[in-house]
This record gives sequence, structure tokens and C-alpha cells, in this order.
Amino acid sequence: MAAWSCRFLLQRGPRLISPRAAAESPVQLVGCVRTVKTTTWFEEHLTEDNQEYMRKTMAEEYRRQTAEKLNPLKDEPWQRHEWTEGSRRVGLVAVKLGMAPIWTKTGEKHAVTMLQVQDCHVIKCLPREEYDGHTAALVVGGKNVSPFHRSEHYMEMFRNAGVPPKQKITTFKVSDNAIIKPGTPLYAAHFRPGQYVDVTAKSIGKGFQGVMKRWGFKGQPASHGQTKTHRRPGASGPGGDPAKVFKGKKMPGRMGNIYVTAFGLKIWRVNTKYNVLYVNGSVPGHRNCVLKIRDTVLPTRGSTLLSPPFPTYFTEDEGDLAEDLYDDDLFIHTEPSLTLT
Amino acid sequence: MAACSRRLDKFIVSLRLLRNLQLQNERFLSTSVCRWAPGNDSEPPKFIPPSKPVIIDKTQAVATLRKFLSPEFIPPRQRTNPLKFSMERKDMIRRRKILNVPEFYPGSILAVSMADPNATGKINRFVGICIQRGGKGLGATFVLRNIINQQGVEICYELYNPRIQKIEVLKLEKRLDDNLMYLRDALPEYSTVDPDMKPVPFPPTGEVPLNELKVKMRPKPWSKRWERPKFNIQGIHFDLCLVPKQMEHAQKWAQPWQEYDMLKEYDTSKLEQQILSEVQQEMSK
Repeated sequence: MAAWSCRFLLQRGPRLISPRAAAESPVQLVGCVRTVKTTTWFEEHLTEDNQEYMRKTMAEEYRRQTAEKLNPLKDEPWQRHEWTEGSRRVGLVAVKLGMAPIWTKTGEKHAVTMLQVQDCHVIKCLPREEYDGHTAALVVGGKNVSPFHRSEHYMEMFRNAGVPPKQKITTFKVSDNAIIKPGTPLYAAHFRPGQYVDVTAKSIGKGFQGVMKRWGFKGQPASHGQTKTHRRPGASGPGGDPAKVFKGKKMPGRMGNIYVTAFGLKIWRVNTKYNVLYVNGSVPGHRNCVLKIRDTVLPTRGSTLLSPPFPTYFTEDEGDLAEDLYDDDLFIHTEPSLTLT
Repeated sequence: MAACSRRLDKFIVSLRLLRNLQLQNERFLSTSVCRWAPGNDSEPPKFIPPSKPVIIDKTQAVATLRKFLSPEFIPPRQRTNPLKFSMERKDMIRRRKILNVPEFYPGSILAVSMADPNATGKINRFVGICIQRGGKGLGATFVLRNIINQQGVEICYELYNPRIQKIEVLKLEKRLDDNLMYLRDALPEYSTVDPDMKPVPFPPTGEVPLNELKVKMRPKPWSKRWERPKFNIQGIHFDLCLVPKQMEHAQKWAQPWQEYDMLKEYDTSKLEQQILSEVQQEMSK
């Protein structure tokens, strides 16, 4: 999207004044005039009925596209390979719903985060030569979003895949035997209970923050003669020898709104009806934020025992899974109360 | 054994009579008819073991017919996807089908039996007055307070903890406030509950009785300044512990504009009705 720019119209009395002359005495902002007229928003030149029509057709188009892709194994699928030692499979893009408590069979309480996989599709496949020469990659997209506020360049790759445009797209580095045809839907059953995952998301933005909140500095005492110094950083380094402040010195600045990964989170439960994963502990990001989930890189939490679906979970392949898949240690609420004998 | 109606006390009396009078039956009669027919000495009556008494627990057996929705079902006002609340509600209903969670309010006297993780196989029973109900969804809690051996004890129980075996309401009543934390600073007689208290029967229909008790407090200082308007406590007898000048001084912290703040309004009536009908439907399945 081209950058927007505006010229502000400032008024003092009956005369309009330029912004340069306005600094000395009080002026009133009358309005602003759009000076760059190349971009438009989708409703600007449409009548109301046409806007309604555009919205309806977009919704129908999405439904048609999703319905077409529901049976990926039926329309010219790519070759599916077997799992081998050292192969990596694709991950998912999900939305953080919230947190809830769960109990184990021994009576311990744990907190879990619920992540819902909403409209996750594979957008593009980048074979090894195209990507970086070492590994292949798959571009996966998450939550559906309206096409009206996205640029043509962005829409192009979704059009090629035949899939509605997504809010978030990420690349997953994948071994050659795990590549999937673009347009395949991905479901929560791709992960199984007992498996460990890594979740990456943008942490909550805190704005410009001081050194105590951002880096955990101790600050100074509240009383005993401190003059105007309670939350300041104090010294910034050694003295005359370097005679400089080293690069990367921890100082106040913008905190949050960066990608943070939580490693080794256990999956307690998978709900196949609503595509919800119950993941142990907390996850970076606010409620309803879009996250990237993949199998753990931690060597002690590999999932060789569980044999999760490779390259991904296909509904036609495995037939009907139960609505809820639980981990062995999890207490299910339909069981009688724990007596702990 | 022939199935017959049993009138327990009459039967026991009649059994004694049987033995004393040596009633003889000419016909082979079932046990209940035995007591009327006089028999002859040639056939001594066979020993008939007394039937087990049938105990009808009138306090717990009948589910409440009042329209009561537990406060943890009402979702807080947040920007969360309603799907998350509906999934939690399903889990809560599944647990409620196993463990009967009765209707209770802060001010009711409850007895909770819970399995102890450190003493395997043993079940702890705690009786106390409910002073607070907090939390929403599966993490809902309630705090029970009692005074045992002159020591005040408060235990916070999670409603949906799988270790809880039974929750019984010994006395169902409401108080003037929703939060009875001021009982910590009140005289100990108001927090003492007899651990072997018998359940007080209450009718399943009709209003929940409101106990308009005004509690006498210990001398100040208290753990919190309960006279301040932010706590809005009706259940303390302030005239006995505070001078009118102190009450006026407390009103300095009043925030009368909060009553008119429209952004703080959260009208849950429609949501409550919807959730109540959903919960009742699911529970009856």
C-alpha cells in the first residue's frame, strides 16, 4: 500500500494559515486534505448495494474454495512418503483462545492454553533449490481475512493456491519427504496428546518502557536521601579504560511486540470437532492472536514413540477420530472422582 | 421372598410380640402377615431377619426447583472467543453429572469430603461457613471458614477438583453481603460451626432464607477497613464499634460517581437466561 500523507488545514480567525506560521499562537484544526490520491479503499467508489454484493460474493467464494479443498487426497495429490529418522514435518498456524485449568490422574493441577486451528492451509511449496539449497520449505497460512484491505501482490499467492487470503503466513523448514501440495487443509489432529511443541508468537507490546520493567534492573531505594533517582539505570559501564558505552547496553526502549518462542510445551488434549489444542503452560501473545506451532527441536522431547501422522493428518485417511483425544495422565471429567488409593 | 410393604416400627414391636406370645400360624404366611394371625405351638416361627431400614435423605435427594445458575457459568466481560467459554461449560457439565454440586451462597454452611494426596485412601471432611465464591469457569473456588480448637481455619476449595468426593449443604441461607471476609475480624462465635452438625432440611421451592444477622466485631484494628464504602458491607453492626464521626470520616472515600458510570455496566440477564437454559438442557440428558 502506498504511504498516506495529509496536509493539515489550520485556521486562525477567518484566514487559513500554513503549518509553519502556526507554531507561535493558538490555531484550530479545521480539517485535513489527502494529498496522495493513488490508493483507494474498496468502498470508496462503490455504491452501497455494490458493497453488499462484494461482501456476499467474497463470503460465498471462501466457502466454495474451502469446500473444494476438503478432500485433498482425491484431487491429484502429491506422493506421500514414509517417516524416516531425522525427517521434519510441517507445523500449524493457530489462534490463542484463552487459558483453563486441568487435573492429572494423581490430582495435580496444571494450567493449559487453548489454541484453535482456524482455516489453516498450505499456500506454497518451496523445493530445496528454490529455498536455501539445504532444506525444503512450506508456506502455511492461518486465519481467513477479507481481501479488500490487502494489496494485489499479497493476494497473488492465495489465488495461485485457490485458497482464501490469510491473516498470517509463515514458512516451515521441512524435510524433502514431508512436502504437501499447496491448498491442503491442516487440522489440529496433526498433533497428538503427549507430544511436545514449540509455539512462536508476537509478545504483547508494552510500548516504551524503563529499564526496571524491560531488563529487570533493581533501581534505587525509595528513601534515605535519594534525589530524583528511584528507577534509573545507574552506571552505564566501566570507566576510563574503554571510555565508551558498549553496543547492546541494556537501556530503556520499546518492549514487547517481538517474536518469542516457548519451547517444549506438552499437548494434553486435542479436540477434533472444533480443532482445539490444549497446550501446557502459557504462550506468548494476547488473546485471539495468531501463532505458529511446530514439533519441538528439544532433543529430550522427541515424538518417536507416538508416531504422529506424517506428512500431515488427512480426514479421509484415518477415518473418524474420537471427538476428544486425551493424554494418558489427564483426568477426564466423565470419570468418577479420584480416590488416590 | 415376597415383596411387601414394610412398616418398620410396627414390625419390630410385632416381632417381639411374636416371640413372647408364641403365635402359631396354620397357613404358610409371608412375614408381614405373620403378626396378625395367631398360630399354634407345634410350629415355632422361623427366624425372619428384620428388613433393612430405608433411609430417605430429604435434604439432598430432591434437586432444587429454584432457577439457580451457579455464578461461575457467567463469563466475565472480556474480548474472548465465546467458543472458549462454551467448551469450558461442556467440561463443567460433564463433571457436574458425576459430582452433584448443590446450590449454595456465601453464608451457607457446607461439608466437603476430599481425598488426601498425602494420605492415600483417606478422605478428609471439613465443615464450615462459605465466606466467598470466586473464579469463573473450571477454576471456580469457594472458601470455607471454621474455628477448630480456638484456631480459625479457612480452606479454599476448587469446585471442579477431581479429588472432591462430596459437597453437602448442611444449612442453606443467604446473608446480607456476597463476601463475608469480615468474619475474620468478628467475634469467633460467628465463624464457629459444629463439625457434627446435622443437615437442616430446606424446601426445594420458594425463596432462599435471608439471614439478616448483624455481626459484632472485635476491637479495631481490623485486617481491612470494613467501614469504607468500597466494601459496601451491610452485615456488620457498626453502631457498637464505631462512633458516628468515624462513619462520616469513612465516607470521604466514597465514589458516588461509580454508580452512574456506564462503561462499568455489565448486564448479564440475557446471557444468564441463555446459559441457564443450555445448562438445564445438558444436565437433563
